[in-house]
Parts: sequence; structure tokens; C-alpha cells
Amino acid sequence: MKGEEIQAILLGLLYVRGDEGIEVKEAADILETSESEADAQLTNCQAYVETRVPGLQIHKAADKYRLVTDKTIAPYLAKLTESPVRSKLSQAALETLAIIAYNQPIGRAEIDDIRGVKSEKAIQTLANKKLISEAGRAASIGRPILYQTTVHFLEAFHVTSLEELPPLSEDATEESALEAEQFFQSLEGET
Amino acid sequence: MERYSVKIDSFEGPLDLLLHLIQQAEVDIYNIPVSDITNHYLEYVRTMQELELNVASEYLVMAATLLEIKSKMLLPQTEEKEEMLLEAEEDDPHAHLMTRLVEYKKYKEAAAYLQEKEKQAALYYAKHSTDVCSGAEQQNEPNLSEEVSLFDLLQAYQSLQNRQSRSAVRTVTTIEAEELSIEERMDDILSSLESNGTVEFSALFPVKQRAYQIVTFLAILELMKDGKVTCLQSENFGDITVTTRGGRPKG
Repeated sequence: MKGEEIQAILLGLLYVRGDEGIEVKEAADILETSESEADAQLTNCQAYVETRVPGLQIHKAADKYRLVTDKTIAPYLAKLTESPVRSKLSQAALETLAIIAYNQPIGRAEIDDIRGVKSEKAIQTLANKKLISEAGRAASIGRPILYQTTVHFLEAFHVTSLEELPPLSEDATEESALEAEQFFQSLEGET
Repeated sequence: MERYSVKIDSFEGPLDLLLHLIQQAEVDIYNIPVSDITNHYLEYVRTMQELELNVASEYLVMAATLLEIKSKMLLPQTEEKEEMLLEAEEDDPHAHLMTRLVEYKKYKEAAAYLQEKEKQAALYYAKHSTDVCSGAEQQNEPNLSEEVSLFDLLQAYQSLQNRQSRSAVRTVTTIEAEELSIEERMDDILSSLESNGTVEFSALFPVKQRAYQIVTFLAILELMKDGKVTCLQSENFGDITVTTRGGRPKG
């Protein structure tokens, strides 16, 4: 098969699959080629759409590629729909998700510990939205369920891989430590 | 059991509240009265007590921790003691709380980042996946392919009633004591299906009697639920055809 033909097939697959996307493995099966070759072709396709197809782009999340519209035309697309854009996650859910994203796999007790409140409901919400999934059980007492983020999490936040998430900033850590110190000093000063 | 959860202000827990107070402290560092903070906590706890005992207890723990820290600070400390405290940081509520606050703040910031990403991600639209299988299935059953929803059935029942009430001659009716069970009608419907294979939905309502119609309707729903019959509709508002589930042995 010529490169152009492969590109045509892949673009067709991406169009048909829409938001479900296509995994590298699936593409390899369909093209009857190796996964690395399929991945390379999908990357080519991504570059092609990037430069040659205005309004569309191919987004990669882990091993999955999806054909999506470009961000720049979003305001025009928004005119098509009256309904507000998708349900947003609550602060509790976002905090819980952040903790899981940076510490996966992680159990509920540790999440509760970091947040200082019970996170059961937030975890349930995230699991219902398929943003997190169970990742086996810890070897510790009670064998608690561990959680990890899903590929859908990457898609929903338009991230290609977990490595793309910025590191938890150390500057902020020092800053807040300073703030905390000042806070306790002020406690002390007043007593 | 469903829990009734109420969100007060925008705090997500004792750590969040404390962080908020600290950030306020940054603005006006030397002027935080401890009694105010404690009051703030207790106000919070009082409001929550009747609503969310679980959360309230977490706030109480934090209030107690704050009081513990405050009382420890009031005690005169020798240098030796301070060193010991440093060594045993785990036992020091002050250090422990600070560590937790710092840790929590990191994730609070990460959460803010994710929120921004979520907003951004909503700007990329993907279409729903195209169902490529449905075309092939349609060829097998050219006219009777669409599974009918409960609403279609209800609509059909309503239009049937309308039609019948229009055609019905108003007469004095006598109330019949005869009772018809859903099970009986289910058997009736199944046996009429057995001979014909399919039957029109409207043909199942020969008797213009409300009780009879309702029992029949329920019987059809019951049969659908059990998977013994399927309802098919070739077009919107068209008549619904009831068939036995293709090829499946009767349960």
C-alpha cells in the first residue's frame, strides 16, 4: 500500500470512529502491519491534518487517536448549540482527580488524608465519568482498592500523556510554607 | 442511602478553610486574632452540625489541632526541648499540620490547572462515532428494523384510545365483574403470536374496555421485559408490529 492510501484509510477510520477514537493496535490490525508502523502512520496523518486540513486536528491520548475540530473555530461551533458545554467537575472532584493523577495508583485513605475530608463521593463521581478506574488492590492492611486515571481522562483534559502534566511546583511549596509559617507566627504573636 | 450534602461557601474542608485564612493572613499578617479564627471554625461547625455530621467532625479535629498548637506555643520552651521537637516532627502537631497544608496546597493548585485544561478541552469537538453496522442489519429486515421505545408504545396506545373513543357510541354501560389477569393476556398474546408469528399492535385491543386495554398493554410490556416478544415499527407513528423474538425458544 502506498503512503497516500494508508493516510486515506486512517483518516477514514478516524472520521468514522469520531469521539471513540482509534487505538494504535486497532489501526495495526486493520492495516495488517506492526503497531510501531501503524503508530508512525498515525503520526504522519496527524502532521498531515495539522498542515493541510484547516479546522480539524488529530489529538493523541496515550495510544488513542481522535479526530477533533480545531480550538480556533470553537466559538463558531458554539453557535450551533444552545446548551452549555458539558458538565463541569466540582472542586472536590478536581482536587481528588489531581491527587490521583499525580500519585497513581493510590488508595482512598491516602486521598482523604491529603484533602483532609472524605473523598468517597468525589471518587464515585470520577469513576462514573470514567475518568478514573480501579487499579487492583494495595498489599497493605485491608487490601484497599487503588485508583488510576484512564485514557478518557487524557482525552477529557486534552492531554497526550501523563508526562505532559506540569510537575507539582516546588516554588509554590516554599511560598505556602512561608505563608504557613507567617500564619503561625501571627498566632504566636497574638497570644 | 442518599446523603444530603450541603456546600457552605466554597471551602472543601478544614484544610481548605485554613488555607483560605492563611492567604488572608498574607494580606494582613500581624492582625489575625486567634479567637476570630476559632470563632470562624465554630461558626462553620455549628452551621454544619445538623447537616453533615461527618464533615463537622473533621472540622472539629482541625479546631482541636489549632488549639493544641496554640497551647503548646504558650508553654515556655527550652532549647533542648525545641531540638527534641525537631527530631520528633511527626509528633509535633504544628509541623505535621504545616506539611499537610503545603501538600494540600500543591494539589489545590493542580486542581486549578486541571480545571483550566478541562475548559480548554471543551473547545475541541469530536463527532459521535458512526454506526457502520446498522446499514448491514437493515438489509435483512427492510421494513421492520427499528426497535420501538416505551414512548412509542405509549403513543400508540394513546392514539388507539383516541380512535376508539371517537368511534365509540355513547351508551349506558354495565360494569362487568369479569376480571382479566395480566398473565392470562400474556398467554393469549403468545398463543395468537404462535399461530401468526406477528400481530398488529392495534389488533391486540379488540375489546373497547379500559380495563381490558390496560391489562393488554401491561401484558405486552411484561412480555417485552421478559424478552418474549419484540415490537417493531417501520416508520414514525406507523402501526407497531408485535413479533416473537426471532428464533429464540420460548422461555
